[in-house]
Amino acid sequence: MNLLDIRNLSIALDTPTGRVLAVDRVSLSIKEGEFRGLVGESGSGKSLLAQAIIGVLQDKWHVDADRFHWRGIDLLRLTIDERRALLCRDIAMIFQEPMSCLDPTTLIGEQLSETIDTSQLSGYFWQRRKQRKEAVIKLLHKVGIKKHSQCINSYPHQLTEAICQRVMIAIALAGRPILLIADEPTAAMESTNQGQIFRLLANLNQLKNMSILLISHDLENLTHWTSTITVMYSGQFVEAGSTEKIFNKPMHPYTRALVDSSTKANLQLPTKSRLMTLPGSIPILQHLPIGCRLGPRCPRAQQKCVSAPKVSNFHGHKVSCHYPLLRDPGKKEAVKHKTGKGIN
Amino acid sequence: MSVLLDVKEISKSFKLKGYWYHKRKFDALSPLSFAIEGKKTLAIVGETGSGKSTLAKILVGAETPSSGKVYLNGQLLESQRFKQRCQHVRMIFQDSGTTLNPSLTIQQLLDEPLTLNTDLDDKQRRQLIRTTLQKVGLLGDHMNFYPHMFSGGQKQRISLARAIILQPQVIILDEALAALDPSLRSQMINLLLDLQQQMGLAYILISHNLGIVRHFSDDVMVMSQGKVVESGKTIEVMRNPQHKVTQRLMMSQNFQLK
Repeated sequence: MNLLDIRNLSIALDTPTGRVLAVDRVSLSIKEGEFRGLVGESGSGKSLLAQAIIGVLQDKWHVDADRFHWRGIDLLRLTIDERRALLCRDIAMIFQEPMSCLDPTTLIGEQLSETIDTSQLSGYFWQRRKQRKEAVIKLLHKVGIKKHSQCINSYPHQLTEAICQRVMIAIALAGRPILLIADEPTAAMESTNQGQIFRLLANLNQLKNMSILLISHDLENLTHWTSTITVMYSGQFVEAGSTEKIFNKPMHPYTRALVDSSTKANLQLPTKSRLMTLPGSIPILQHLPIGCRLGPRCPRAQQKCVSAPKVSNFHGHKVSCHYPLLRDPGKKEAVKHKTGKGIN
Repeated sequence: MSVLLDVKEISKSFKLKGYWYHKRKFDALSPLSFAIEGKKTLAIVGETGSGKSTLAKILVGAETPSSGKVYLNGQLLESQRFKQRCQHVRMIFQDSGTTLNPSLTIQQLLDEPLTLNTDLDDKQRRQLIRTTLQKVGLLGDHMNFYPHMFSGGQKQRISLARAIILQPQVIILDEALAALDPSLRSQMINLLLDLQQQMGLAYILISHNLGIVRHFSDDVMVMSQGKVVESGKTIEVMRNPQHKVTQRLMMSQNFQLK
């Protein structure tokens, strides 16, 4: 069963010049035990989407969706308080800069013990204190911090960034969530530390069967870890499918360009040769193109692209494009047939 | 091709707090030497605290080395003569958003190095700014804009324009590509490679991303704790990493060259 099922979620912002759709009808579904990557460049609305899922967006953003289900419960019918109560039990989120998210004036140990719910502790009230401390130490061990006593008695600024991120993950794990949303957990981190954090997330996914939604701006860093990937561009859904398909046989011109522009995926290219790129830059929120927002930059754009494309599904590989890149000859005919219909 | 920049036995140490009979110091850089030719790129990789930023600062003249000398075209670069140095060695920083002065227009920003270092008159300077902006893929009319009116990728292009406007010979890229989005990053790489061919620039690239290092550089230098642990042609080092630090770096990025 789908854990999270979102269909056509839109997030809009009222501006003096009219309403702007920052996220335009994006669908996202996460199965149990799935490690999903959400990829998009800056301004693609991926962080907004994550914040909308856990319901921490400010009031000025208007969220609406055709379907917004969490384990079969329709979240849109619940009041905001009910929704929060439900989601904060099941979903946890870790943020970009661990240093700035932790309280700088409080010891790590206190911050951790704050998050442990009393209902998790058994025993009489005089035993609670000890149990709480044990639970904190257990959490720290879970995220791979061995020197727990040193860590508990230090402030965030005394620890390195990777350790801080581990503490953040420990805080997120305290509520025993079913889904963990990681919003660029390794931004501004070194590659060796990045690897550690990704490995920890992968371990949690495999050993605890926890679903993870990993948000990142870089496709090439994700491919080694995730099982499925959703790509967004400028607030629109682009492509979703298994990591292998997305990386090896991208169907959308944008994903194709992302893979082609990655220096890691093209190791066979001679050094100092030109990389494939899309012309132009990412549109800003005030001046979004109509229809498919990739339109002005897309090498395959045609007249039809001024209207937003529908999502088409090829064996679980979803693409939102009028002219997807297809290689199989059998499928090509199907597309010809389809486009033929469009012209008529 | 003759050697453009020749660095000989450069080292840097910082004094730490201590007593006069118990002087303590911290060696940020152990003596190291290298040389770059024109139209070549040297990549410096390493973890934080490995001294790569200190090295960049010494080369650009922001720090004075404790010992050692830097030669440019066979000429000694003295630590006090900034005029000579900043004409030929320029630097681009990681975060272009914070290195551009927000209260100046692009024209004023680019005008500063010209008034300080050249004898051009008003009209010539204006013309030079216009052509430089066009060279980095912006419009000449962009010079009346303020930095906040540009997107991140465009700001990085302006930093590049500021670096190349004095016709330098060496440009130091200190993580200049890290903060950019992937599609803009590849545009920037293409632009840098084109400029290298046109102007005969030598680059010193400081980067974490081994994919970019592989694509962009001719030689690589791996640093750890102020020492050079491995150096050589990029392809050869990456095909057959010898030192533990190099191997760990490549492991952590799941990077393997066949």
